[in-house]
Amino acid sequence: MSEFISKQNLLTWLGQLIGERNLVAPTRVDDLLLFRKIDRVEDIVFDFDNTTLSPKEWFFPSSETLFYVDRKDGQTELMPAAIEKETAIFGIRPCDAQGMTMNDYPFLEEPADDLYRQHRDITALIGLACITACPECFCTSMGGGPHDTANVDILLTEVTDGYIVQVLTDKGKALLPDNLLATADVSSPLAPVLSEIPSEGIAEKMRQAFDEPFWDRLADRCIHCNICSYVCPTCYCFDVRDYTDKERIERVRSWESCQSPGFTRIAGGHDPRSTKGSRLRQRFSHKLLYFPNQFGALGCIGCGRCVRACPVNIDIREIIQDVQQLGVKSEA
Amino acid sequence: MKPENPLLPYLSTLQELIDLTPDVKLFRLELNDPDIRESFDYKPGQFVFVSAFGVGESPFGITSVAHRKAGVDVAIRRVGTVTNALHQLEPGATVGVRGPFGNYFPLDEYKGKNIFIIGGGIGFAPLRPIITTILDYREDYGDLVIINGARSPQDLVFAPEFDTWAASPKTKLELTVDAGDEKWTGRVALIPSVVSELKLSPQNAIAVTCGPPIMIHFTLIELRKLGFADNQIITTLEGKMKCGLGKCARCNVGDKYVCKDGPVFSMEQISQLIEQF
Repeated sequence: MSEFISKQNLLTWLGQLIGERNLVAPTRVDDLLLFRKIDRVEDIVFDFDNTTLSPKEWFFPSSETLFYVDRKDGQTELMPAAIEKETAIFGIRPCDAQGMTMNDYPFLEEPADDLYRQHRDITALIGLACITACPECFCTSMGGGPHDTANVDILLTEVTDGYIVQVLTDKGKALLPDNLLATADVSSPLAPVLSEIPSEGIAEKMRQAFDEPFWDRLADRCIHCNICSYVCPTCYCFDVRDYTDKERIERVRSWESCQSPGFTRIAGGHDPRSTKGSRLRQRFSHKLLYFPNQFGALGCIGCGRCVRACPVNIDIREIIQDVQQLGVKSEA
Repeated sequence: MKPENPLLPYLSTLQELIDLTPDVKLFRLELNDPDIRESFDYKPGQFVFVSAFGVGESPFGITSVAHRKAGVDVAIRRVGTVTNALHQLEPGATVGVRGPFGNYFPLDEYKGKNIFIIGGGIGFAPLRPIITTILDYREDYGDLVIINGARSPQDLVFAPEFDTWAASPKTKLELTVDAGDEKWTGRVALIPSVVSELKLSPQNAIAVTCGPPIMIHFTLIELRKLGFADNQIITTLEGKMKCGLGKCARCNVGDKYVCKDGPVFSMEQISQLIEQF
């Protein structure tokens, strides 16, 4: 027997959530499917493979004010930015939820990032298990799975006329009123089967492949458009800049990409990563070598967005396979 | 209590601004809040971010020493947007200070040893706290040789202190320039050749060097020729950085962050990094 919520009750519940907190869910924005604050339940899209962007921006916004500088009567005062009210994110896929946990490692490591921690604390994740998969999906090779419950507060799995409900945390329990739930004798559908990518032992193979000409050759076709970082749920590089608008100064943090030319250029002009090959190697080394060394987990969750988005078909799945092979050759 | 936000700077006042060279000024800063000022402790080799509000913030090695309890000094060369804005400020201006960040020179481990300080240009600035500490606790350390080099005589940083350093017991100051002028009677030589010429002995010694990458590269070659092991050669690295906390993912060299794991590294540590800068 499973806990069950009917489609009608789900809509009722989501409607209630809109009244009491921010509800963020997948919705159409032009031809994109994005996590946006929802005002009407009818705007929520329930039937999708995955969203164009992950909900990363609800914890680590693409642009966020860190503080304002107010100058009055010769006095300077710093006003930290305030975080909005409680939020529930509906419709996050298990891979993206894993991505948010990945981002916790750098951001919550002491001293924790204050704004990120606040966003995380006030946000609950209502996940939607995957019934189908995209051709680019490879979460099962990166420690996740289409029905993975590990990183959400509630997981819903679609069945006929409704969803199987798994309430996984206290945060989830507080969110969902019992009177909307029923007990039903339904079994969970089979998870889609994904192609396997040989990620086992990839960190060590990345280390061995570090000085291979492979990276320069691969980077020949990179046009450093940065779309891979832009769509990635676990890319967390950021830039910090000051903006002045009339009398008000604000310090703003925004997404950055290690693929940008000049990302590592220091005052005076020295740029230790001035070639495309060294920058491309940095992106994959960070995810597949440095992040695992630092935090014990791969820094990629296999959502496939970068594979879909790259205009020159640089494909992390192929890179993992190729690097495993490079290792074999150098051992021979 | 709300935890402290490490991206929020401490409001500070520019107490004094001293011209060190045509493009380097010494900024003497004092944190405004008396409680924070009292508890703000730092060690030789650590750095702070200094904000010019409205323009941005950049990291700078601290050139003062905490034990003298006289605020935070940084020597800033005018070279980019933030440093240009900072150079425009007048004493009394409000700036932001964030830090201190990074590891530090393990001076306790250097006690009883001969210390060679080898700095080029503005790269000499983060080495000054080592000199000040050794001179303030002179009996704790062996011989001190200071090699300070610059492009021209007027680019040598901390000139007002040269006499004090040179007159200290067991201390030798060697100044060198790439090109002299009509008044210059000192050495005209590149730093690595000075290192070679002085025949610095690796016996019970530590060499600490900082400067442009090319200078560090050739200084390292000379030190190794003289018999210095890589764990006797210490340097402090710089990198583009935005947070100082190992979060913005800019200043990594391989899987180490300059801001958090450094900036002070031994050559032994650097040679073990997968990425070579």
